[in-house]
Amino acid sequence: MRSSSQFNIIGKPVERIDAVRKVLGDPVYAADLIPNDSLHIKLVRAQLPHAKIVNIDISTASRAKGVRGVLTARDIPGVNISSCIIPDRPLLAHGKVRCVGDIIAAVIAEDIDTAADAASLVNVEYEPLPVISSPSESLRHESIKVHENGNIVRHLRIRKGDVEKGFAESDIIVENSYATQFQDPTPIEPEAGFSRPNSDGLVTFRGSMQNPHYVRGAIARILGTREDKVRVVQADTGGTFGTKSDEVAMDIGGLTAISSIMMHKPVSLVYTREESMVLHSKRHPFTIKHKTGVTKDGLLRAAEIELVADTGAYASNGPLVLLRAIFHSTGPYVIPNVKADGLCVYTNNTIAGSFRGFGNPQAHFAAECQMDAVASKLGMDPLEFRLKNILRPGASTASGQILDESVGLEECADIVRDSSRWSDKRAEYKASQGRLRKGIGLALMYHGNSIGPEGADIATATVTLTKSGVVFKIGLTEYGTGARSGLAQIIAEVIGVPLELVKDEPADTATTEDSGGTFASRTTVMGGRAVMAAARAIRDKLNKVAAELLECHPSDVTIQDGIVRRSARSRMIPLGKLVDECSRRGVGLTEFARYTATGSAFDENTGQGTPYLQYTFGAVVAEVEVDTGLGLARAIKLTTAYDVGRAINPRGLEGQIEGGAAQALGYALMEELVHKNCEVANPSLSEYLIPTSIDVPEIESHLVEYPGRLGPFGAKAMGEPPIVAPAAAIVNAIYHATGVWVRELPATPDKILLAISL
Amino acid sequence: MRKLIFTVNGKRRTCLVRDHETLLEVLRNRLGLKGAKDGCSTGDCGACAVIVDNRLVNSCLMLAIQARGSKILTIEGIGSRQRLHRLQRAFIEEGAVQCGYCTPAMILAAKSLLDHQIKPSEEAIRNEISGILCRCTGYNQIVRAIQASSQRRTRR
Repeated sequence: MRSSSQFNIIGKPVERIDAVRKVLGDPVYAADLIPNDSLHIKLVRAQLPHAKIVNIDISTASRAKGVRGVLTARDIPGVNISSCIIPDRPLLAHGKVRCVGDIIAAVIAEDIDTAADAASLVNVEYEPLPVISSPSESLRHESIKVHENGNIVRHLRIRKGDVEKGFAESDIIVENSYATQFQDPTPIEPEAGFSRPNSDGLVTFRGSMQNPHYVRGAIARILGTREDKVRVVQADTGGTFGTKSDEVAMDIGGLTAISSIMMHKPVSLVYTREESMVLHSKRHPFTIKHKTGVTKDGLLRAAEIELVADTGAYASNGPLVLLRAIFHSTGPYVIPNVKADGLCVYTNNTIAGSFRGFGNPQAHFAAECQMDAVASKLGMDPLEFRLKNILRPGASTASGQILDESVGLEECADIVRDSSRWSDKRAEYKASQGRLRKGIGLALMYHGNSIGPEGADIATATVTLTKSGVVFKIGLTEYGTGARSGLAQIIAEVIGVPLELVKDEPADTATTEDSGGTFASRTTVMGGRAVMAAARAIRDKLNKVAAELLECHPSDVTIQDGIVRRSARSRMIPLGKLVDECSRRGVGLTEFARYTATGSAFDENTGQGTPYLQYTFGAVVAEVEVDTGLGLARAIKLTTAYDVGRAINPRGLEGQIEGGAAQALGYALMEELVHKNCEVANPSLSEYLIPTSIDVPEIESHLVEYPGRLGPFGAKAMGEPPIVAPAAAIVNAIYHATGVWVRELPATPDKILLAISL
Repeated sequence: MRKLIFTVNGKRRTCLVRDHETLLEVLRNRLGLKGAKDGCSTGDCGACAVIVDNRLVNSCLMLAIQARGSKILTIEGIGSRQRLHRLQRAFIEEGAVQCGYCTPAMILAAKSLLDHQIKPSEEAIRNEISGILCRCTGYNQIVRAIQASSQRRTRR
């Protein structure tokens, strides 16, 4: 493959295509676009986490001045379901409520205040049921059913080799338990959307979301109508990190769609921050037990791992989160004997679902802290111990998958070791005295790209070249990642137009084909291949026509910055003229392309197979300072290196690496969405703390390129990987600084102080 | 309803407001200036920040009527498509814009700082924007954009 320096636009830190409207503050987000004549919805939420609904009295609320209607379950024209993989969740509660995030009624009124006042007039009578507040309770009390078919949503297994034999061959065995918390995605834009009835169809929904085609399908089912009667358009979306891929967008779409058809007017629903934090999906808390066997030379022989995930009251994407977690549960190492069991379990907590990393941050927190624990028992440097066991080209993973050449993990580890001055700092910080102690810690990671075994993986795109430039349409959405700008770069590179002339159309189900969901960090890898194929087809047509005009072979035609010429010193043709000539000849310059990833599969009983078609690798070194008097840990520097396959835009990658690290920092040190008896105790930004500009330290990022087979120009996924490793690196650094382990996230002052005092 | 007369982005504006309406609500719903955002309604996220009489203010915490006679600067008063402000240029060039939702507030905070300090230290920059939450960038690109912008100014 060509090296990055041989590209015109690929690998350059060019400007995003959507930046100008954002720095100008243009009204492009869903709440900015609500029409003046819109009605407004306020939700009535469950007051108890587990109860039978005896009666819902909407009479007083319905009669209030300015109230146009109150929706309950019986007002749903189609199917009362708004859920992800398993149809276990109603849009509007009926029969019983299973968490405080359940929606009981929707009040439609002329303005928000009227709707809110009327919502408090809706009277619900409950018969409380016993509450399951944790997975261990859920497993212990089989008789208390959150759902009729039992509390276990999924059980997954990995069986490789023979762990008993492996432990028998081990000189040292280390056992530990780890626990992680509910992390709230906290996009700065709360969920919002509005529907308006169409004159020629049924309804158009515009909102903050990741997957317009999924939302269209959900709304159509809720309305009991055909998909082509429903149009869904994604508004610019102010961050999501996975949560707007789950139930919230379908809820807002479904409720506003029903209402707008009923009222013959636009109807909007905008969540407050509190509603957002109670209703939207969060990161699954996991408890993870590790038993690791190693020889005294530091070679891993056996790993026995148990993972239990709390998916809350509804499955959401829990079964798939568990899947990704278990497949990565060993960390990026060669271990000949692996036994892993994973359970995804219902409780009456609010929903856990998609959140950047999707089970991998949890898996790596446990795996990478465990590696340091084992290194400590061996008396070995944590980096040296890892290097004895890491995945290299030709290695076999826990699934028995043999990795090909595209494994840049060792180089990543070398880079962070040298760049952070690992050895010097390990010694220097170990010697620190006094109340403030510094520490340096490490974590390695890998992340399977795209959907893998989670479902069919297909991307489509349409690219059109005119005299004005290029327009592309794709069902994959932008919500901050910059991935759509990367697609523009790929098109500009392949066709030879200046980047400024490449424009994208909004993701609109009326005009854009389904390209699968915008998740699993698949836009660059899968969407990139689709736009590349379409752009390539256009370029081939251009080459053929140009070859006749320039009297050369099509493969000799070069197009750069919109200038067409033969490779040698020939005359040039502006691209616009070539486009005219194509038109004159009836050569169409619109191409549709479809790209399918195949080959990912695994055995249900043993987890052996090829779960993912390629992996992103990385290494993170964290330096921390711990105030041992206050128990306060702060990160003072992060040094990172990632094997990105091919960097499409280094500036964009830097943004993902730094943003992901900041979220991981919050996950490690300060973020916890607390449930007390299954009610959310801190649904506000003064009580749920995310990192501010003062909390985030210098972050050094290095990119290496080991091109993979799956993505355009060899690119690998980089949306989620940056959030996977830093938490473990930080906790390992805290251990180095203080000599104490915090095995439960977040590592807040109370936990650090308690560990120090013991 | 009370009559509110104030100056917004250099223009004198008059509107009728309710006692309980916040400055944020009036800017967005009465004046159609959607750049200031409602991220939390409790003054925690900073997405509603605007400049009032040369001070950065969380407009969700200020009653509109408190702004009578004041000079308000919102993102709509900074730069234009034809001529971006140097801060807007710097944000784009440094990659400081991802989802863009906090961007108006961040740019106003930067302007507020640079209007008072020609070459602020990194610490001063981080302090100034510490009241505005960003979930996408991790802040460092935003800090670099503000630094770049302040350097550009002194080079004149």
